[in-house]
Amino acid sequence: MNRRAFLRAGCCGGLASISPHAFADDPWQVPPRFSRPDAASDEGGLWALMDRQETRLRRSPFNLDAPELRAYVQGIVCQLAREHCPDVRVYLMRVPNFNANMAPNGMMQVWSGLLLRMDNEAQLAAVLGHEIGHYMERHSLEGLRAAKSSSAIGQFMGLFGVVGLVGQFGLVAGTFSYSRDHERDADRIGAQLMHEAGYDVSEASKVWTNLSLELRANPDASAPNPLFASHPGREEREATLAELAARYKGGETRETLWQQKTAPFIRGWLADEIKRGRPEQSIALLTRVATRSSGAADYLYARGEVYRLRAGEGDLDLALTDFGKAIALGSEPPETHRALGMIYRARKRGADARASFERYLQLAPQAPDALMIRSYIEELSA
Amino acid sequence: MRLILALAMAVGIAGCATRTQVLKVEPGEQVVGDRLAIKVDGPWNHISTTLLAPAQAWTMEGFPIDQLLIYSGVKDGEPVHPIASGTGGKSFNFRSNMQPDEIVAMFEGALTRDGSTFKLAKLEPSGFGGAKGLRFEYAIVRKIDNVQLSGVGFAAVDSGELFAMLYSAPRITFFPRHQQRVEEIAKTAKVRARPAGS
Amino acid sequence: MNRLAATCVALGLFMHSGIGWCQSENLAPGFSGLPKDAKVAVMPLDIEIFSISAGGVFEPRADWTEAATRNFKSALQKRKGQLGLNTVEVPEKDADELVELNSLHGAVARSIEMHHFGAGALQLPTKAGKLDWSLGESTRAIKQATGADYAIFAWVRDSHASDERKAAMVAIALLSLGRVVQHGGLQTAYASLVELDTGRVLWFGRLRRESGNLKESDEDAGETLDTLFRTFPQAK
Repeated sequence: MNRRAFLRAGCCGGLASISPHAFADDPWQVPPRFSRPDAASDEGGLWALMDRQETRLRRSPFNLDAPELRAYVQGIVCQLAREHCPDVRVYLMRVPNFNANMAPNGMMQVWSGLLLRMDNEAQLAAVLGHEIGHYMERHSLEGLRAAKSSSAIGQFMGLFGVVGLVGQFGLVAGTFSYSRDHERDADRIGAQLMHEAGYDVSEASKVWTNLSLELRANPDASAPNPLFASHPGREEREATLAELAARYKGGETRETLWQQKTAPFIRGWLADEIKRGRPEQSIALLTRVATRSSGAADYLYARGEVYRLRAGEGDLDLALTDFGKAIALGSEPPETHRALGMIYRARKRGADARASFERYLQLAPQAPDALMIRSYIEELSA
Repeated sequence: MRLILALAMAVGIAGCATRTQVLKVEPGEQVVGDRLAIKVDGPWNHISTTLLAPAQAWTMEGFPIDQLLIYSGVKDGEPVHPIASGTGGKSFNFRSNMQPDEIVAMFEGALTRDGSTFKLAKLEPSGFGGAKGLRFEYAIVRKIDNVQLSGVGFAAVDSGELFAMLYSAPRITFFPRHQQRVEEIAKTAKVRARPAGS
Repeated sequence: MNRLAATCVALGLFMHSGIGWCQSENLAPGFSGLPKDAKVAVMPLDIEIFSISAGGVFEPRADWTEAATRNFKSALQKRKGQLGLNTVEVPEKDADELVELNSLHGAVARSIEMHHFGAGALQLPTKAGKLDWSLGESTRAIKQATGADYAIFAWVRDSHASDERKAAMVAIALLSLGRVVQHGGLQTAYASLVELDTGRVLWFGRLRRESGNLKESDEDAGETLDTLFRTFPQAK
């Protein structure tokens, strides 16, 4: 009986029936570093292709200009990738969707939409460890060698392409995916790498559970979801990861360090999320992350803004509540007061509007719209 | 789809080249639509086409480089951008009761429909056309070709209708080259009363 | 083609004439050729090759683009002498800094194509029929990085029908009894010679056709290059 059949037989009895020894017969070793293939070989040609894509990533105006954050994420990747650390290069891109991938030549891109959705370092390590798993097992190369037509190769390359290319988004989803076996292997390896780097493996399945929450909030469930650039088979992966968490106990989340390093960027990423124009998903996301131990005021302000801009039945009152909560926490973004001012003004509560606008200008005297808000105050005073 | 549009731009506005023409704008007074009068100090090029409605499009260096979009009398409920048939994207419509920040958000939405990014640099009250209006400055990273643009816009609402001018050009060389002339035109703008009986 | 150029062609004074009013439409007013041994920087080539899916969607093909870029570069190397170019590479470390200028050139090239060469209806009256575009002093950064006085930029977009697309095209042609003929692919290429002190576009070459196969070999790329540079003036 092969291992997979054994697992299937055991699965329906609940987690307790899965013996940890199910994995004991394949102890997995990190392979030695890969050497650059001969330029004339097929693989060498692929490598040159990847190098060119990497240059475009590096030069793209959508590259997140944040050397400290990049160094921090590079450090996490380094820990996970062990001996392969010198071969991996991280690129952070300013795209409000959930995606991270790694190409055969060691280039890794991570989108800001994914960074926003991570609660702690361990969750990011789960995603990146998974990608490193694909890299170490050379799944993409296997896939390429098996590709029946050259158009498949082209499409595959599109996966690692630059955000700035025309039509890239629509193409990434669904044109090329790793096999279920490869995904399962990458989860397994990712969990092992996470554990050996000291992370709490139980954070891995939370990543997917959290994402499911958002996707279920999509009112048009049949349409392909641009939030997801790849990684099908979520429900199955949640189960696999829960099994792995039972095997690898202990470890840290490093939540505090993660929150500290990402804090300077959260407001910008939240603004991008709001601009996506998907209020139902944003509300689901923001409701979840508002329970994080730091930054709640920013998330509450953002959710309030989503309500205010959607302006459906009852939304303005929901917005007022969220803004009030953010202010009560004491670290609200200045824009909270501007948004309050807008609502009060629309409801003809002149004195309240004036007070809110004044507070906004006090907190953000250099805001781009300071002069306009000043003129609103003058109008309301007249 | 977007690339096809981009290619169409590159090789000429596809299929409509016979109806589209470029007219010379002579120095002096110009009237855009029924109600917006502006004074121009030197020649401009007016790309005469219905493809860019409701805006009237002017340019100095050519459409892929710089665009001066002039809006005259956009009515309540009307979109500020062309409706491409069959794409089903979100529509950004003017409402007569819009506040200045909402007008800017509307133009931001229209300008980022193709995936470009928009960042507001400044928003201030400013007379435009003789009415109380707004002036704003912005930066765009254009999706189809990564070109980084600077922009300046002016808008006002008169008798429930929107009057506006938006000028976008690459931040290197071209925006600095033509910005001053655009500011001058905006200063001369006058919204005329609605013709009697209309 | 504008009327001035048409007149010049008729008079057999199409190229290489220094006479102002008969200037070729590919040359800026007053420019007739590079000084001998002028240093010319070759900017990183902006090439993108697409596959057209059955549904008419253009999908970027990194492998084709890679091949096309290699072939084009190799063809340019081989023909430097013929074109009279004393070329200098842009150092890789500077290429990152200059990417914005390269993107800007792409927009300028498409504008020149659309408004100077394109359907006559789109000529810009303020340009008065002349090749009169300039990137301004911003190009001095290239001079600083390379020591060159001029630069060549090239922008190439090419597309080829995928096999599925080709099959669909055959089907549509048959069903419409030959009345509907779809594009199998379109090759569009522009090249400019820019004076780096002023940013002035001195020469503009263009290519727009249904054939051409940059990705296959450097002979094919050489053929594309020859066609694109057909109007390039000889060095003085």
